Amino acid sequence: MAPVLEPWEVFRREKDGDPMRHGGSVMAPDAELAVHYARELYGRRQESDRLWVVRRADIHDLADPDLLQPPLDRSYKKPGGYVMRDKLAAARERSGQAKPRARQGGGRSKAPPVDGGAPGPPATER
Amino acid sequence: MSRDTTGSLDEAAREGLEALLLSMADDEFVIGFWDSEWTGIAPLLEEDIAMSSLATDELGHARALYGLLGDLTARDPDAIAYDRAPEAFRHARLLDHPRTDWAFSMARRWLYDTADAVRLEALAASTYRPLADLVTKIRREERYHLLHVDAWLRRLAGTPGEPRDRLSAALETLRPDATSVFSPLPNGSRLVEDGVIAGSMESLADRWLAEATSILTSLALPAPDPGADLAAGRTDHSPAFRWLWGEFTSVRRLDPAAAW
Repeated sequence: MAPVLEPWEVFRREKDGDPMRHGGSVMAPDAELAVHYARELYGRRQESDRLWVVRRADIHDLADPDLLQPPLDRSYKKPGGYVMRDKLAAARERSGQAKPRARQGGGRSKAPPVDGGAPGPPATER
Repeated sequence: MSRDTTGSLDEAAREGLEALLLSMADDEFVIGFWDSEWTGIAPLLEEDIAMSSLATDELGHARALYGLLGDLTARDPDAIAYDRAPEAFRHARLLDHPRTDWAFSMARRWLYDTADAVRLEALAASTYRPLADLVTKIRREERYHLLHVDAWLRRLAGTPGEPRDRLSAALETLRPDATSVFSPLPNGSRLVEDGVIAGSMESLADRWLAEATSILTSLALPAPDPGADLAAGRTDHSPAFRWLWGEFTSVRRLDPAAAW
């Protein structure tokens, strides 16, 4: 029986200490040749110091939007908590306060002052 | 013997060393060109890339070996590779055969790579330091070549019908020439006396024949002919090689003095 080609996913590491990252895939009839082909496609220019080769069929896939992207706001589950920007803006509006200026000089931060107000929310918040 | 003392080598020692380097460089150069013919037409895309990469590895080894020879003889490595007549090449007769089909290329590569591995092992502690240093690097790449070709030998052998039949036919065709990697070299005895190589070509051939025969016999495949006449094992090349020579020198011959 002729071997059937199937896809294998290749993960590669650029140097010791880095995480394994998905590099791409190869077609091969079995693990032995899949490893050889991964070596040629993702390692022959010395761009990797380690490769993992995984049969795609052995990957358990989860892409259900009900499970991963539910429609309700789940931002309170993020490490930064609720997005406060809109609530703060409403509170300032009520009290007639201007936006506070960012701390200028004197601080320990070496970052330049942020122009025009408080630092924005962490990038993870929206 | 070290690089610094090559100037004081007597003529026999120098001739032996030159013949050894030229034979190895030509072996790698010629198999590299034959196998590069698979680029674009290998059985599957991944194998196409793998085979092309293996072929260019061999050309890289040839380039380094021609470089050592160039250092020894004050000649340009490109000129050694491209400006010789076909009859001046000293590759093994095993490499005179054309690419043929996939099973044939795998059979030939298996015979050559396993023989080359025995030769390289005998050079790893060479008293000619530039060669010992280069061989250490080459052996690290050849490890992968051996894994790749051994995988193919076993899968072709283990797949009844056309794959196994073609592999078996290829090994039968190559039987008389398989041992030619170990053809005697001019002043070869000096290489052994001086410790350039650990063992005569005859003794290396015996070691390889024992290993290769054991593996091929266990797969019920034709084993190399142990009694082949190797006197002309690196001369008297085939019409197929003359064709290949015409291919790989075709651009160079357009204008040998051109600066690239």
